[in-house]
Amino acid sequence: MKRPLTATAGILAVGLTVSACGGSEPAADADGVVDLTLGTWASTSAPEFQLLVDDFNASHDDVEVSIQEYDTDNYETQMTADLSAGAAPDLYAQKTVSAFVTYQSGGQLLDVSDVADGLDEHVAGLGSWQVDGSTWAVPFRQDSWFLFYNRDLFDAAGVDYPDGTWTWDDYAEVAQQISDGTDADGAYQHTWQSALQGFANNQTPGADLLSGDYGYLKPYYERALALQDGGAQVDYGTATTNSLTYQAQFGKQKAAMMPMGSWYVATLLAQQADGEADDFAWGLAPAPQLDESTLDEPVTFGDPTSIGVNAAIDEGKVDAAKEFLSYVASEDAAVALAEIGITPAYQSDAVTEAYFGADGAPTDELSRQTFQVHDTRPENPVDPKIATVQTIMGDLHSAVMSESTSIDDAIAEAEQRAANEAGITG
Amino acid sequence: MSTTTEVRRVTPDTGAAVRVTPSRTRPTAGRVVAHVALVVAAAAVLLPFVWMVISSLKANNDVFTVPVQWIPDPVVWQNYVEIWEKSDMTTWIKNTLILSVGVTFLQVLTGSFAAYGFSKTRFPGRDALFMLYVATIAVPWQAYMIPQFVMLSKMGLSNTLWAMLALQTFSAFGVFLMKQFYETVPEELSEAARIDGLSEYGIWRRIMVPLSVPAIASLVLITFTNTWNDYLGPLIYLRSPDLWTLQIGLKTFIGQYNADYALIMAGSVISVLPIAIVFLMGQRYFIEGIATSGLKG
Amino acid sequence: MATTTSTTAPAPAPARGARRPGARLKRRNALIGWTFVLPNFLGFAVLTLIPVIAVFYLSLTGWNVFGQAPWVGLDNFTRMLGDASFHRALLNTLYYSGLHIPLTLVASLGLALLLNQKLRGVAFFRTAAFFPYITSMVAIAVVWNMLFSPETGPINQFLDLFGIDGPGWTTSATWAMPAVVLVGVWREMGYFMVLFLAGLQTIPRELYEAGRMDGAGAWQRFWNITLPSLRPTMFFVTVILTIGSLKVLDLILLLTDGGPGQSTLVLSQYIYKKGFVENDFGYASAVSVALFLLCLVVTAVQFVINRRRQD
Repeated sequence: MKRPLTATAGILAVGLTVSACGGSEPAADADGVVDLTLGTWASTSAPEFQLLVDDFNASHDDVEVSIQEYDTDNYETQMTADLSAGAAPDLYAQKTVSAFVTYQSGGQLLDVSDVADGLDEHVAGLGSWQVDGSTWAVPFRQDSWFLFYNRDLFDAAGVDYPDGTWTWDDYAEVAQQISDGTDADGAYQHTWQSALQGFANNQTPGADLLSGDYGYLKPYYERALALQDGGAQVDYGTATTNSLTYQAQFGKQKAAMMPMGSWYVATLLAQQADGEADDFAWGLAPAPQLDESTLDEPVTFGDPTSIGVNAAIDEGKVDAAKEFLSYVASEDAAVALAEIGITPAYQSDAVTEAYFGADGAPTDELSRQTFQVHDTRPENPVDPKIATVQTIMGDLHSAVMSESTSIDDAIAEAEQRAANEAGITG
Repeated sequence: MSTTTEVRRVTPDTGAAVRVTPSRTRPTAGRVVAHVALVVAAAAVLLPFVWMVISSLKANNDVFTVPVQWIPDPVVWQNYVEIWEKSDMTTWIKNTLILSVGVTFLQVLTGSFAAYGFSKTRFPGRDALFMLYVATIAVPWQAYMIPQFVMLSKMGLSNTLWAMLALQTFSAFGVFLMKQFYETVPEELSEAARIDGLSEYGIWRRIMVPLSVPAIASLVLITFTNTWNDYLGPLIYLRSPDLWTLQIGLKTFIGQYNADYALIMAGSVISVLPIAIVFLMGQRYFIEGIATSGLKG
Repeated sequence: MATTTSTTAPAPAPARGARRPGARLKRRNALIGWTFVLPNFLGFAVLTLIPVIAVFYLSLTGWNVFGQAPWVGLDNFTRMLGDASFHRALLNTLYYSGLHIPLTLVASLGLALLLNQKLRGVAFFRTAAFFPYITSMVAIAVVWNMLFSPETGPINQFLDLFGIDGPGWTTSATWAMPAVVLVGVWREMGYFMVLFLAGLQTIPRELYEAGRMDGAGAWQRFWNITLPSLRPTMFFVTVILTIGSLKVLDLILLLTDGGPGQSTLVLSQYIYKKGFVENDFGYASAVSVALFLLCLVVTAVQFVINRRRQD
């Protein structure tokens, strides 16, 4: 009995290491159709990819794009592993600018400047994908942060709706009024660092994450702490320890206002439709501003999403891949995306029309204007140091918002770390 | 399971744990108090699990409330129904079982075999080699994850169950555990067996393996649990949905309903129960007195 | 598994004649030794050892995961000397381990001793103690965070009954680490209990009976019989527990994500961040080597102590 057992183990051990089977992919089909793979995160939570692929395949007989799905939360980890093992798909979606910088500097992306040159000026967010004067990925989606507000709660508190002229001080004042006048909180600021820093970084003149000088954050944090101390918004500690979700905070009418990215529009519509969120009237308003000077074209920020081509792609597939990129940034694709509540990178009246055509979408003029007129800046500058800086800023955020460190101390520590870890001196 | 004749000779009433221990029971007030204390402690330890079960029977928006709502009202079975009907549960369970059983079996087999070599035989460099085993435990996996992945991909093993089987089978942990246990077995026993003409392989199989049932039981329980619950490994290596394990599958399935905690808790309950059963079965082998009890008397 | 019906080993033969093997016998024994070790070692060498060695090489490079790894010599290590975040992570790791190791050791040994007795429902209690270990980490983190919630959490509400104003736990820079340690002990005590339970089975009951006859009390029996007999298990548990504590990751990631600020940042997490978030795999490898050396030093000390006690 002993021998067969050990022998099996030995054979298994050897078999495991030797049984390599060549799984190389076919270059092009026999019938002349080019097969492309597109790496994306879970299509169930990101329906836009399937939509783009289906529409493209329907209109292109000679190319067949298929989706290779990755885990949403671990997209970069899995993609990094696949790229380094040479097993990554022909095209892959770029989820964040900081990861994009990594891929680009690591030589994992093909220069697609020629595609970018062919796009018209309606496509926003190209700048986030440009390094050294070349373009390395093409955006198809451009979210922006707006102010979501609950009209019913405003009515109940007897407070006027936002009118597009708000500064953050106006916002704080109204938040306090609503808290005092209703059972709901006036506002909800989600626990992400971007929910506060994204505005501060982009609205403050001269503010720059790469400057190593973060004093400009102070007024924003003072306001946020005052709101949570005054009971106008759930405090950070309660939000993190109770795993509060922004969908429930706004969707279940626990807060009357919430700054959030435009992706939430589609989620809110869907949740109201299936009863997961309460049924109430809501609207979009421009993000509150630092002061009145930017009211004409309110400054906000947003993450663009794009698709790039794997540098290791088969020579014969490059043209087809670029064709796909041109398509995703086209108006046709944008209208299709807008119809399912996605904010496309391509902006036009037709797109706005399609966006607000959805069932349950707000119909007021301010919401439309909010969607159309804004100066959306990239959340993160394109720079190799950005990932390090973001880590530092994240630590600053949790230290200040949990009130375990004073604003001044936290800022001083962040500046010191920026110098020490990223070589940035203010 | 296996008890050697000599063991049987010493403790003729080997059987249930309860009967093995000698009658030093004093049914005093102290014992009752200790028992009550244990029940309370168990309740405290299980509290988070109880909360999980309760939450899994709630509607998602009732999960986090202030104050905590301990009785779900209404009781919602929908989460379980949804996971069962809409997900590919049977495939995930099948894959997880293949891995857990396969890894556990191979780990115990090769681990205890190697442990015998490290503790009961002598060869040059033995101790250094053993140190090498233990040392690798100290290197964090996320540091060599990518080199390992690249290597296994080159062998064509990524995206196969073989990759996971190979990675988890040859862990230093099992070798270390079994070696420590073998060291408690008196050398006299092996000597005696050698005199009787038993080969080293024979000693391993006929003496060591039967004697190390409690150690094997603990290795089985721990390996099974770790393989069952492993998330990062399958995440990196198993990409096709038909290879997914329970952990990956549930996580992905639940991920579609972003932040649906009721569903997350239902998934957690489902993934815990099978191991709890395995543990209940396995813990019987921690019985005082079946091992070396007869040897030194 | 009828492995032992044909038990050959008769009554323990007293023939403990010390026979020194000759050179040929020695070589034969070495060969036999290798045949035992080889099946596992082959797999281990190919799948673990080679990638681990690669980490040591990569720690001397500026590897960014893709393509080339430019040689930088000891640059990564000198950088570590001046890296305040690394120092912070190192101190936090030592803080966590310093609390977690002794507490877990005591708790798990206590549990094992308690649940090694004749006891009604012992199977249930053992399973209950092991439950925290098998429950999904995500669920554990969510539940404990909720229990710790400063304003609304049951723990602080309970403390409030006694007029104690509870701390902020996971949201406080001072209390976050103790909170994490608490959850760590709670989670792992059942795991190490299993190992201790297995170890306890190796102690011959006759020893206790002899001790009792000599009039040794419970404490003396524990000190003079249980602990010495448990030494190999104890050694194993301390080594695994030490390395596990120094490498702690999941718990921190899910419970506090290193925060607030950097108050619970530990080495493994720093490695993860430097590697997978900032794509600085060369530096991440160097920090891994540092962590490895730390584990090695502590483990070596344990080996020496173990050896000394053995002799």
